[in-house]
Amino acid sequence: MSETRRMPETVTLTIDGKTITTKWGTTILQAARENGIYIPTMCYLSKVEPIGSCRMCVVEVDGVDGMILSCQEKAVDGAVIRTNSEELFAERQKIMKLYDVNHPLECGVCDKSGECDLQNKTLEFRVDRQDFSARDQHRPVKDWGFISYDPSLCIMCEKCVRTCAEIIGDDALAIETGGYKSTIVNTRDLDECAQCGECMAVCPVGALVSTDFKYTSNAWELDYVPASCAHCSAGCQLYYNVKHSSIENPEPKIYRVTNDFEFSTLCGAGRFGYDFENREAKRDPETLAAATEAFRKAETIRFASVLSNEEALLLGRIAEKSGAKLVCDEARGFQKFLRAYREASGRSLPTADLEAVRRSRVILTLGTRLYDDAPMVKFAVATASRREKAQVIYCHPIEDPRLQKQVTQFVKYEAGSEEGVAALLAATLLERTQVPEELAKYLDGLDIGYLSAESNVSEEELERLKLTLWKRRRFTLIVGEDLYNHPRVENIARLLAVIERYSDFELLVIPPASNTLGIASICDLADEASGYTVGVNAPGDYVLSALGDGDCDLPAMNQQEGTLVNLEGRVVPTHPALPYAGWELADIARALEIPIREIIDLTPELPSEAGFKAVEFDDLPDYFDATGVEHRGYKLETTRSEPTIGAPEEPEELESYDGTVLYRCNPDRQFSPFTAKAHQLNERAELRGSAQFAAAAKLRDGDRIRFTQDGIRFERVFSIDTTLKGTVAINPVFDTGLSAFAISSYRFSPVKIEKVGEADE
Amino acid sequence: MSLEQFKNRNVGTQNYTMLDLGERPKTGWDRFKQVARRSVKLELFTGLKVTFREMIKALFMGEMHTIKYPFEKLPISPRYRAIHEMKRLLESGHYRCIGCGLCEKICIADCIRMDTRYDENQRKEVSEYTINFGRCIFCGYCAEVCPELAIVHGGRYENASEQRASFALFEDMLTPLDQLNQQQEFPGFGAVSPDADKKIKKTPLAY
Repeated sequence: MSETRRMPETVTLTIDGKTITTKWGTTILQAARENGIYIPTMCYLSKVEPIGSCRMCVVEVDGVDGMILSCQEKAVDGAVIRTNSEELFAERQKIMKLYDVNHPLECGVCDKSGECDLQNKTLEFRVDRQDFSARDQHRPVKDWGFISYDPSLCIMCEKCVRTCAEIIGDDALAIETGGYKSTIVNTRDLDECAQCGECMAVCPVGALVSTDFKYTSNAWELDYVPASCAHCSAGCQLYYNVKHSSIENPEPKIYRVTNDFEFSTLCGAGRFGYDFENREAKRDPETLAAATEAFRKAETIRFASVLSNEEALLLGRIAEKSGAKLVCDEARGFQKFLRAYREASGRSLPTADLEAVRRSRVILTLGTRLYDDAPMVKFAVATASRREKAQVIYCHPIEDPRLQKQVTQFVKYEAGSEEGVAALLAATLLERTQVPEELAKYLDGLDIGYLSAESNVSEEELERLKLTLWKRRRFTLIVGEDLYNHPRVENIARLLAVIERYSDFELLVIPPASNTLGIASICDLADEASGYTVGVNAPGDYVLSALGDGDCDLPAMNQQEGTLVNLEGRVVPTHPALPYAGWELADIARALEIPIREIIDLTPELPSEAGFKAVEFDDLPDYFDATGVEHRGYKLETTRSEPTIGAPEEPEELESYDGTVLYRCNPDRQFSPFTAKAHQLNERAELRGSAQFAAAAKLRDGDRIRFTQDGIRFERVFSIDTTLKGTVAINPVFDTGLSAFAISSYRFSPVKIEKVGEADE
Repeated sequence: MSLEQFKNRNVGTQNYTMLDLGERPKTGWDRFKQVARRSVKLELFTGLKVTFREMIKALFMGEMHTIKYPFEKLPISPRYRAIHEMKRLLESGHYRCIGCGLCEKICIADCIRMDTRYDENQRKEVSEYTINFGRCIFCGYCAEVCPELAIVHGGRYENASEQRASFALFEDMLTPLDQLNQQQEFPGFGAVSPDADKKIKKTPLAY
């Protein structure tokens, strides 16, 4: 045979008499689900590889003896499949009988009752008696922090273990095998586990439940309000589960957060940081008059990026009317970055999304402490590392031991040398590619020796990086917040745009805060605040705050509707879960004689030149379909044009950071004062440094210290974190109230630390 | 019947059956004689015979039928559905309610609410429970659905009070601890059937 046989693109098969054409490589179960054919499963979870522990998904295939596991078997051309017969029912009933052996009959009090897979399938397969017996084990309930585990309810489906390994990348859960004695065990200290709660979300029974939510409400009493998480730029899909607070208090309260766990994931902040609403607000005419007056005389409107697109647009209109300028400290550097990137690449938005990260074989991160900055991106990296055996090169001044499992090469560079590192990367990644003459000349002209000496990235490391890329496909470059407030942000953006354009790397840009991408696309931001300043969730002369501590109240993100732009460039809708009794920006705008009825009337008016579509808010879809395709809002239209500028500039001489250097970074599960307000995420902010840092700064564990950074006076406790290395300490800002939203400096900064008290005082 | 027949108001020509009432007295003397005759014949006491018999039974033979409500009350059927009672476990004295929320769910008047929490003994505890008797229609679904026979309908049917007694708390309905020995096993609405034992399927324990 001279012709090589090519794999067909699609296969056609028959399931239950229905002819189905599907992509080559899909499993029988997926093909059935795509077409709305029901095959019962117990352990199947769409977002991980098939587990195959339950055997409920068995089907009969013509010409094949016995039964076939539909979750693992690929659909083949011409197969005739039956999903239902008497034998199959008997088989599945037997499986359910075995699952039900000694399962505690405590549905009456179990949190899962009403949404329990085991309950549903037990009824579906009519198991009403126990024919088998087994000696029951002593299985005490375990407390794993946010999560508690009841082994006697566990059916050992392995969903949690697989999710933790494949999606979260923590491997915090494992199976202790022992036949009937098998249990799930926590292999980690609580501190090391991300405490994302994803294991309890995927648990089909009541074995893994939230410690805080446990026994407070039945599932059927809760209303599900679809929303998008506003804590970070990932904008994850979630449902606020709402019920009246108590018998005395009919006010609705959020009891917990759930998500479409089959297809999407949440981090700990999204899942446990939900009660940040502004409860005390009132509609008081004097406040409205004062707020209106403040906006009238405002010379600057300064706002945080915890703001919907519509509010950002409305603030723009208010500013237009009053002649004020708009300042968003979180978004300013990012906007500069985006503008420079657009000029250099001609693309309106970078190429990669999270799915691209998950499919990558090589992932390079630059300028982001991934684990804390963007949990969703970290999860995607973990998935790539697990499924694609991706090489992960983590470039950052501080090593992160929590990423040990994923990171294959850690490239440490000096704080402040991001521009040099970007230039080195450009030179390394573009070495063998055809580039325009001007760029080639630029790259040749780079003084690699000087750059690598200054940034402390050795040429051996770059060689190793080159070897990693050798003969691989699907590259992603992930960049983050460290770069946007770098003094040379524009040149860094140009260098990255060049890498994206001429190498095989796709670029994922992590916006620094919730809706920074939306704000940077909608508003024209000024550099510095001056004159009379109105702060919207930000400090100012007149402050409107959703934290409830300003001159006028604003609704928090779980009390208002609107859209957010997430890091994939997707415009996602969010809905109010809780009532809000105070004034909103729309009320103030009306008082300023701007014609607006509801804030969501602005959704179709979002600027089309930034890629927004003229879609009414109520027409925005918000769901995942049966095959996991995301239908939430829409993706920003990306445009491509010719780049307007040529080669990047020569990197500037690097500023060196001596003495005690602090890195501004909130711990995972904390993003802003809003997460700090949530009752479950109550944690103390402290300055964490390595033993080496402590020695250099002459500090001891537990010392009380005082320092000023970004104009904020911090009084903190210093604690030695043994997992950290090097001479940079990590300083969180989530506890600083509104001033956390007004920081726009480079994340590393030298600081003079003053000791005010000993550890034992 | 057609409408015309109703519209016919000419009563004199219709088919009425006339009663034979005898001769009516015509003169005053005749009327006097009729009264005297009826009185002397003691027809009055024929009518009062039953009354006197019952009076004698009540006064002298102890068979009084009058109930001096509200000082006395008639016993009511166990199937009667009045104000709910919350039962306790006879062994431990702990209340039977497990906080499953089925009564809250099934209540068609939406008058039951409960707050539950995770208690120190790792159990679900009912921290508060109310029934809004202003809304309750005493349908008995809550008692019927209760898997623990914890909520039942009692016999207290007097709901009137000076204020609209809209709420009753868990403690009000719960059997007082000192009267636990007098707690009646409930035979009424929602109770287990007399042949419940026969219906139980046993779990094999032969390991």
